[in-house]
Amino acid sequence: MTVTRILVECEGVLDAHSAEMVKRDSLPLIDGESDVVIDLSNVEFIDSIGLGVLVNLYKAARLKGCNANFIGVAPNVRRVLEIIRLDQIFDVHPDLESATRALDQRR
Amino acid sequence: MSDSRISSNGVVPDLAELCRIHDVSLELIRRSHDVDELLDAVLAEYEKRLKEMSADTLGGESGPLDPDEAKKLQALVMFAGQAVALKEKAAAATQLRQRAEELERLNDELERALEQEARSRRRLDDLLAAIDAGIMVVGGDGRIQNVNRAASDLTGQSTERLVGRPASPYLGEVDRGSDGKVNDSAKVMLVARRDLRSEPEAEVVLMSDVTAHERETEERHRLEKFAELLKTLGVLSHKINNPLTSLMGRAQILQMKKETDPDVCKAAEVIEDSAKRIASYIRELAFVVKEGKEEALRPLLDMDAPQPFSEVDKS
Repeated sequence: MTVTRILVECEGVLDAHSAEMVKRDSLPLIDGESDVVIDLSNVEFIDSIGLGVLVNLYKAARLKGCNANFIGVAPNVRRVLEIIRLDQIFDVHPDLESATRALDQRR
Repeated sequence: MSDSRISSNGVVPDLAELCRIHDVSLELIRRSHDVDELLDAVLAEYEKRLKEMSADTLGGESGPLDPDEAKKLQALVMFAGQAVALKEKAAAATQLRQRAEELERLNDELERALEQEARSRRRLDDLLAAIDAGIMVVGGDGRIQNVNRAASDLTGQSTERLVGRPASPYLGEVDRGSDGKVNDSAKVMLVARRDLRSEPEAEVVLMSDVTAHERETEERHRLEKFAELLKTLGVLSHKINNPLTSLMGRAQILQMKKETDPDVCKAAEVIEDSAKRIASYIRELAFVVKEGKEEALRPLLDMDAPQPFSEVDKS
């Protein structure tokens, strides 16, 4: 059985300016057929709005009956997640391999 | 961003916010039996609070926060703490529930398997009861584990008395894995001992009453031997008759001669009498052979018995 996954790669700054674009480009990809991996390795900065977008993506995947997790969280972004404990709400993994393994186990 | 913008005691002084937190907490507690339900409520609350917050409250430049923003951040942190604690409890509750469901499923399977085993057992008992041959299952310790009704009838012991007793008294000299006969005073039993494939130490013993068959066989053999004996007697009497006739004739000739020697006359007389006696026995034997009955033979073999054929024609 072939399992497909959607990889959403975010780059640069996730803030009020880029949030709408990220939502516009990413949300349609979440089709309910495939689990989602959101790659934050190239995200340099994130604010409250950006965090809201991550929550949107995570929630959208769950609403469609799929699983989602995050990979490649840089230290400064992780710090922000830790303040509001989103690192314990989200599934955060160091790399794609461990993320896909976790998704396989949940299937 | 540093933690210094969050007050160390985490207390939210605003009453409205306190009520809001209280309501959210109640909702989260209500959903804390299931991690998925809880997560939906947590994410919805996160969305709402992050939207209400100014963009640079989190992730912004270091420095003092606007008091309202500080309150919102404090409230979000407080909520996040509750959410994480409840998520852990919900995960544990979900896991427990899943394990309980798995246990219930296994229990149902076990019950079905036990019921199937009971049905198979009942079927086996019915089959054993229906079979005419006696069946005993003997354990590795040589003791009877199961018997059917036929075995109970053959041994004259109830099934309750047989179970647990050594099987050896009922096996005679029959070796394990073989067939043989076991005799007691009243009956003859054919016993077959076979190993049980499923339990190498145990065996099954099949028993059938062959008493009637054995007696018939014995009787047939006896009758065959008697027939052979009669045949032999017939041949023998015929063979004796010929020289006997010559002997009697010569004795009569001797007596008819004018013999003056008294010893010779006496001898001739004795020869004739003896020959006549032998001829009488031969006639009796011929009668027995002709009749073909065993009881007719017995008096001939008993020297003291009265002769039943004293009236047989001596001519």
